[in-house]
Amino acid sequence: MNMDKDNGHDKTSFWKKNARTVPGRPSPKKDVKPTSKTKQTGSTSFHDFQASVSDAWEIDDDDDDFCIISGLENTKISKKVSQSAAINVLNSHRNFSDVVMPEKPISTINPSTSDAPESLRCSRIPGRPQQMRCRNTPQDEDSESKLKRFENYLSNAPTLQGLCELSWSGVPVKVRPIVWRLLSGYLPMNLERRNNVLERKRQDYWSLVNKYYYADHDENDRDIKHQINIDVPRMNPTVPLFQQKTVQAIFERILFIWSIRHPASGYVQGINDLVTPFYVVFLQEYIPNNQSFETFMVDTLSEDELKIIEADSFWCLSKFLDGIQDNYVFAQIGIQKKVHQLEELITRVDETLHRHLRSHNVSYLQFSFRWLNNLLTRELPLRCTIRLWDTYLAESDNFASFQLYVSAAFLLYWKEDLMRQNDFQGLLILLQNLPTQVWSSSQISLLVAEAYKMKYMFADAPNHLQSNRFDS
Amino acid sequence: MSSKDDEYDYLFKVVLIGDSGVGKSNLLSRFTRNEFNLESKSTIGVEFATRSMKVDGKTIKAQIWDTAGQERYRAITAAYYRGAVGALLVYDIAKHLTYENVERWLRELRDHADQNIVIMLVGNKSDLRHLRAVTTEEAKTFAERNGLSFIETSALDSTNVDMAFQNILSEIYRIVSQKQIRDPPEGDTIRPQNYVSSVVSNTVLVIIEQLFNHRFCIYSSDFCTIHQWLFVLFINL
Repeated sequence: MNMDKDNGHDKTSFWKKNARTVPGRPSPKKDVKPTSKTKQTGSTSFHDFQASVSDAWEIDDDDDDFCIISGLENTKISKKVSQSAAINVLNSHRNFSDVVMPEKPISTINPSTSDAPESLRCSRIPGRPQQMRCRNTPQDEDSESKLKRFENYLSNAPTLQGLCELSWSGVPVKVRPIVWRLLSGYLPMNLERRNNVLERKRQDYWSLVNKYYYADHDENDRDIKHQINIDVPRMNPTVPLFQQKTVQAIFERILFIWSIRHPASGYVQGINDLVTPFYVVFLQEYIPNNQSFETFMVDTLSEDELKIIEADSFWCLSKFLDGIQDNYVFAQIGIQKKVHQLEELITRVDETLHRHLRSHNVSYLQFSFRWLNNLLTRELPLRCTIRLWDTYLAESDNFASFQLYVSAAFLLYWKEDLMRQNDFQGLLILLQNLPTQVWSSSQISLLVAEAYKMKYMFADAPNHLQSNRFDS
Repeated sequence: MSSKDDEYDYLFKVVLIGDSGVGKSNLLSRFTRNEFNLESKSTIGVEFATRSMKVDGKTIKAQIWDTAGQERYRAITAAYYRGAVGALLVYDIAKHLTYENVERWLRELRDHADQNIVIMLVGNKSDLRHLRAVTTEEAKTFAERNGLSFIETSALDSTNVDMAFQNILSEIYRIVSQKQIRDPPEGDTIRPQNYVSSVVSNTVLVIIEQLFNHRFCIYSSDFCTIHQWLFVLFINL
């Protein structure tokens, strides 16, 4: 698989371009009677018209902004900056890991061992290792100086490129909501236009909800709704926040509206997990200091506040998923392609590990499918997912391919543990339950740094990813 | 679930299929870890677990693949039907739609799995008596008509969970062992129907594959059975 070509493919903004000519969300209902169903809620008739045309979102000028700014030449992180950041992270991690992360005895790695500590017990359930405890201990990205740098930067005519560079290595909690809105292209960089855009977009979301969520559904829509209703209540069964009816209803609306606007994929199990980071980040903006979001009662917020959180989560999710839509279309070709690329990549980077897996008949699809489908949300604690998404959002259009390198780095991280397993069963059970419960943002920083290194080595030298080695 | 219990006579691959939310993952966790989660996250792609059981004095290791129920995943999950000798087709006794979809799942198996796979229809959530939407008789009749075995289980209160696996593993084992008795090495050239042979060759392939992986655990007695198996495999090819 030729990575460069793929990158190029991504960079030609396939989805965007298509969205212009073929909006990809042609809802016949929308087109037939654009205004008849729209309620006159005091908004201008132009707004009604705009809300009712299927690709209104694509002609918004803030979108143009997004397209131009995140175009080819600008999204590349300066190699110098990222590399030096990578080296710093590697060094600091090396020191850190000497102290805090001593080599784990096998017993803690093998989740089946009876003396595994209580905290590891939940890791025994495949795909459910996510402990949402957000530690109160400050993470790397939360240092005072870093926050200052962000605040200075944001108040001073920021550019998207600059913000990407700054955010790549992590965003402080305090500024994360605004930075994520900016990075995802939802909020324009231009300070003067922000309020306007936010107001309009939030209104747009709610008119979509009024128009579609509460409307009569055809069979396909009912199937989608049914599946969403099955999945949402069981997303994070141990976290009180997600047991609240209000929160579940919010997720159901976001997912349903996203699905009908993306008919090529519709709702696919796992996308629900991708709403969580956005929702939690935007919710935290309204949670009083030091209070945990897990037990926060959202009904204490005003209706307006809840509406803002919901609309912003929806738009940022939409922007975020634009680059990886092919992950979720029929047969999930995007994922199948990436699984294949992952295998090719590991063959080149670490043939020992590759051979080890293959010799025990472990196929990459068996373990990496979920990694790619859920963007590692099932493998990492939420705090780590959020930190990882700082980087993903800073990669903007390139994040689809960057995700591949992060997956590769994630696999390689466990190499030693994997090499110790000497049968199919042991390997697969470990791969389904990787013990990441103790991870913090330092591990993620290491991961993205390794991923960057690989991307630098391989994506910029596409021949590295061709299987010529096997041809000889 | 420890990787130390690697001594087994047979290894059978079994898949868990059925609509979303019928309790496939909880059947698996109840059977392999004796755990149950009232709300467990949706399965993405496939998940894997094993447990060994005694059948007729032989140790059978069940390698169970739990699959995602959503239709979108079928292109992916179908890949996991290869080599499966058994399938638990699960529906929810309190949700009639999940029972209606059983026919679709049977078609799915017919299209992607070995034609002789042993299928057991499983009506899960039998604890929800007051919400029952599918009668035992109805499902039983359907199962008989389609040549499936049938059981009702509750992963929540453990009713019949072990029994379901025990039954399907015994059934597979019976076919395998009958095959060995009925087809002595110098046997007739006209073999019974492919029904048995294909299941056996499939099984043997899996077993051999696994035994090679576990070569450090092979004991002398296994070697003689390997010879037998290889022979069975050979005559089946």
